[in-house]
Amino acid sequence: MLPSFLISGLFGVVIVTGLALLLHLQLGIARIANFGVAGFYGLGMYVFGVLYVQVDWPFGEPWQFLACAITATVVTGLAGLVVGWLIADLDTDGVLVGTLGFATAVGIVATTQKEWTGGAEGMGGLGFPYDIGTVKDNEFVWLAITTIVVIAVLAYVWQVHRSPYGRLLIAVGGNEPLARSLGKPTFRAKLWLFAIASAAMGLLGAMDGVMAHFLDPANIGIDVTLAAIVGLVLGGTARPFGAVVGVILAIGFFDIVLQFWKFLPQEWYAQEIPVLREAVFGAMLIVVLLFRPLGILGDMRRDKLMRRLHGR
Amino acid sequence: MVAEAVAPVEAQAPTRPRIRIEGAAKSFSGRTVVDVDDIVLGNRPIEGLIGPNGAGKTTLMRMIMHSTSLDRGKIALLPPGGGEVVLSALPAHRMAGHGVVKSNQVIMDFPKLTIWDSLLLAVAEARYEQPARLFSERAVFKHHEDEIRHHLDYFGFTDPTSFAMSAGEKKLLDIIRCLLLRPTFLLLDEPTAGLPEDLTEKVMAVIRELAAGGTSVTVVEHDLKLIWNLCDEVLFMAEGKVILRGDPKSIRENRTVVEKYLGEGHV
Repeated sequence: MLPSFLISGLFGVVIVTGLALLLHLQLGIARIANFGVAGFYGLGMYVFGVLYVQVDWPFGEPWQFLACAITATVVTGLAGLVVGWLIADLDTDGVLVGTLGFATAVGIVATTQKEWTGGAEGMGGLGFPYDIGTVKDNEFVWLAITTIVVIAVLAYVWQVHRSPYGRLLIAVGGNEPLARSLGKPTFRAKLWLFAIASAAMGLLGAMDGVMAHFLDPANIGIDVTLAAIVGLVLGGTARPFGAVVGVILAIGFFDIVLQFWKFLPQEWYAQEIPVLREAVFGAMLIVVLLFRPLGILGDMRRDKLMRRLHGR
Repeated sequence: MVAEAVAPVEAQAPTRPRIRIEGAAKSFSGRTVVDVDDIVLGNRPIEGLIGPNGAGKTTLMRMIMHSTSLDRGKIALLPPGGGEVVLSALPAHRMAGHGVVKSNQVIMDFPKLTIWDSLLLAVAEARYEQPARLFSERAVFKHHEDEIRHHLDYFGFTDPTSFAMSAGEKKLLDIIRCLLLRPTFLLLDEPTAGLPEDLTEKVMAVIRELAAGGTSVTVVEHDLKLIWNLCDEVLFMAEGKVILRGDPKSIRENRTVVEKYLGEGHV
């Protein structure tokens, strides 16, 4: 069995990988600069938490979990649809500000609606939808389940690249007026993409809520968005595995390597490391964009892919 | 009113789609770029639209496609069977569905898509481009492979799995995309600009074949040799207005056209 810190560290890597993969669909393929990842993830987490804790469900686990998680996913998808409708035709700056504004609004609601969310003090009472023994056993199984979900997201994203739908998204990101002139409903394509990816971000938020047991607004801060963006940019925004490689390197270093080999002064681990993490992430973004803007894995080789799929 | 040139074109029954432009105007920063009173395009199989730079030809094409909005007026497609489709009330992505397709004056491409990709994008049906239909690539390819290969072979693309690199390749790709959309009304904005003579001939042959099959074609071109050889009728545009239309010979010899555009040496 893995040690607790490793389960927790790996869980963080898995969740952020999932978010980065979904961001890859939006930013990497369709060029929609969603800076509000934490908002959709946070909305999913809090809708799940509020439903799970505040509603008196007439059935037990795992149905209670499923009902809450599905509702959270649908609500987040609908929020994505509304936000997407507002921002889909804006330029990059508009999309960035609009999505960031949404994330901020979710954070404010989580902090101010005390009777529902517990406000800044937080809300407890969340648990696993099963009990197979010790907390560590339950956490390990939850890590496995979440990993399977994120692998499914990876498989979906991988297949998107090999489908007419993926080609449409690349066209929308590359030259939207030209795609429109070919009869492609680009606004609708962006809207659905945004809604589906947002819904999936909400599901990941709900799954993270289960592991966290206790929700407070610090869980849904800008650092969630920053982690997903840094991972994706570091690995390469254009490739599905860019998100995986980038997140493992960036988040894995701080949440696993630094925790395992405690080579930094012990007193740093309480307060300095989280701050250092954000600073290094920022620096990493600058360095990657300056010296390797396409990330470690580089650009997607569409020509190679087409040869593999269809021959010469 | 548009003046008829010396030898008026014989009126024909509408057997092909036409586009009616009524009172359509567009200004940029207070300057009127297009102000067309009432004209119908598509009375003849291939029509040419000529005029000096800044006459408003490209803007008029963009207004037809609704990629540039109208300040006032109306543009409608008149299908041969009767009725009308108000193009100026439709979003730009609905034009291709009504058979109205346009090639681009400036080179436009999808930088992340290969030549094959770009053409498969043009032909892929909407039902395959859905988030839940991720295993339909083979079906799209199989259904359209022969048609795409025909065009690629005809224009001599050597490695269509790679990206379009030269301006000429991108220009041809733009034209092939238009052809794959099976247009009923094709607008071509400087389709052969930058192409070598052999490829220009090939493009002209394709346009003739398309027009013979019932497609209405309107060509904007500065290559007047192409206009005189290809078009059944020519419209002359200046200062945002279509001021003259007629057969190529009469337009070529018209004093206004000579003075405003061609110059004395051209006649």
